[in-house]
Amino acid sequence: MCGLLCKLAAWARKKSPWIFHLPAGGLCNGCDIEIVAALTPRYDVERFGILLAPSPKHADILVVAGQVTKHTKERLLRVYQQVPEPKAVVAVGSCAISGNVFGTENYPLAGTVDQFIPVDVYVPGCPPKPEAIILGIVEAIKKLEGETRKS
Amino acid sequence: MLTSITEILNLLKKYGKVEKIHKDTYVVEISPGKVRELCEILHWKLNGHFSVTVGSDERPVNGYFGVYHVFLLDKQKLSVIVHVKVNPVTLKIPSITPIIPGANWHEREAHDFFGIFFEEHPNLERLILPYDWPEGIHPLRKDVNVRELRYKLLKKETGLVVEKKAEEEYIVPIGPYHPALHEPEYFELYVEGEKIVDARYKGFHVHRGIEKVAEERLTINQVPFIAERICGICGYTHNVAYCQAVENAARIDVPLRAKYIRSILLEIERVHSHLLWFGVLFHLLGFDTGFMMTWLVREKIMDLAEILTGNRKNYGMNLVGGVRRDINEEKIKLSLETLDYVEYKLRKILDKMLKLKEITSRTKEIGLLSREEARKLSVVGPVARASGISTDVRRYHPYAAYSELEFKVPVYDAGDVYSRALVRYDEIFESISMLKQLLKNIPKGDLTAENVKVPEYRKGLGLTEAPRGENVHLVITGRENKVYRWRPRAPSYNNVPSTLVMLKGEKLADAPAIIASIDPCFSCTDHVVVIDVRTNVKQVLRLKEIARGK
Repeated sequence: MCGLLCKLAAWARKKSPWIFHLPAGGLCNGCDIEIVAALTPRYDVERFGILLAPSPKHADILVVAGQVTKHTKERLLRVYQQVPEPKAVVAVGSCAISGNVFGTENYPLAGTVDQFIPVDVYVPGCPPKPEAIILGIVEAIKKLEGETRKS
Repeated sequence: MLTSITEILNLLKKYGKVEKIHKDTYVVEISPGKVRELCEILHWKLNGHFSVTVGSDERPVNGYFGVYHVFLLDKQKLSVIVHVKVNPVTLKIPSITPIIPGANWHEREAHDFFGIFFEEHPNLERLILPYDWPEGIHPLRKDVNVRELRYKLLKKETGLVVEKKAEEEYIVPIGPYHPALHEPEYFELYVEGEKIVDARYKGFHVHRGIEKVAEERLTINQVPFIAERICGICGYTHNVAYCQAVENAARIDVPLRAKYIRSILLEIERVHSHLLWFGVLFHLLGFDTGFMMTWLVREKIMDLAEILTGNRKNYGMNLVGGVRRDINEEKIKLSLETLDYVEYKLRKILDKMLKLKEITSRTKEIGLLSREEARKLSVVGPVARASGISTDVRRYHPYAAYSELEFKVPVYDAGDVYSRALVRYDEIFESISMLKQLLKNIPKGDLTAENVKVPEYRKGLGLTEAPRGENVHLVITGRENKVYRWRPRAPSYNNVPSTLVMLKGEKLADAPAIIASIDPCFSCTDHVVVIDVRTNVKQVLRLKEIARGK
């Protein structure tokens, strides 16, 4: 059963989900700048309470861009573990999803994001438009909601 | 001093065999013993500048390894490539770093990838490959196959060992801020109180092995896609540089209309990149209003890119020999209207912001780079232009449609963060004026060249002026419609070492603005290790956190 405090937390999470932006290494920054563009006045996700968290420990949604390199593999896992439950993961861009033109077999690369952590929402595109990224985050909020109801 | 082209060619002929590979570009093949002497003449006496060192495994072709030092002579509008054959058994050639300190990273990279030893190099450590990479495996050699390499590395579990080593080396940070993230550029700052006494750098966490993929798997016309994804901010300029290198090697004449379209997109990219940079600078100085306002105007430019190419970033417009899509009259009209609006808005916003005391007091006389240091490190682009060096590929080695345009090259002498901002400020408006000229004068004609055939083993040099500085691609074409060797050199490669000079003696709070002032890829996500010299406590912070005064 969900107590009052838990309900309040669930409501707050839905109304103001904090995101943590993690560029996973094998990427070109294209997705990163589109994620930042989503925060600027034209799209202005802050009006929905979506805020960039400075630390994964404060975040509800992990936004991962780029595929995982050997340098960043351990760090990705560590950051994922630090995001408190319930959490959702959004993989942004073709690199995070499939490796894009870089492939997944080359020597510095470890693999796509879903080979290491569970991914809830995929946002395809190279890079995806800010609108698409916002839609991905909205889908992730739905997932968070569903989880709180279940628990 | 030698000035005319024939005099320089005569000089080169004294050193070795000179071959003209395409317009204004000469390869001189010399013996290892003479490398230093010639490089010294080219960089210091002829006032050229060292651009890139390219290693290459040419054993299947001629039995040797090759090293190419590329020099650009701005005054004479020449590019000179010094080619040295390296004996595949001894693998030794003299280093040029003692004469040109800017060659440091370039030679270390060739050492990593090909196992070539540069004698008398001050610090021939690993640069790109991790420290625990197995000895004797050099990934860009032709006898190394990606799949086999992956299998070998999996057995050794390279990635994991790096992590453990890193933990021993750096004490786990204090506080709630998590350090372990994306680290495209990793700086260690040694501080005494508030003052920075020394700085070190470890980078290349985003190394993706693009060259290996391109050489092993992709065909010549597929490489532009991966070239565009070298950088998400200024990808198109890499795309153009690669295509130009192949076109030069194969002597393909690109139609004028295609050249104009390339120039238009390059300038749009420059405006968006510089606006992005202004936003980041303002954000790091704690002036978020400025950040939001510049990015709001930037959206207009992004729209323009979307109208002209179909995507906000990664345009995918180039083919070897031309461009894919045309621009019609309607789009030209719309673009001109947008540019008028953007110009009006930017004049209003940036003029005010650059006069604010809060901005000037934190950027003027901070992060100094003298002209001499800039020459030594061979910095490029706005960083060089802010230190009094007039260098611009568009002016001195014209490509695309730039030879038909009127524009100024802004140069400032102060060498501080503020002059770097001023250079970019001027460039934005120069770009807008160039865009207007291009859109008004675009000629009619074809979009792609006919008969695109690429011969084997030809060399080509592609130069472009990226928003961050000169961008050099050296291509050696291969058999079966592939590239044999492709070395893209992004401008930040030459510029990042200069931050270590700029940081010394500055206050810790100024570090984010200084590091951002060279416009490294995206400084918000960079990390800095702060080491207090007195207590020797290490703390890892993100740039943003320092900006907040944490």
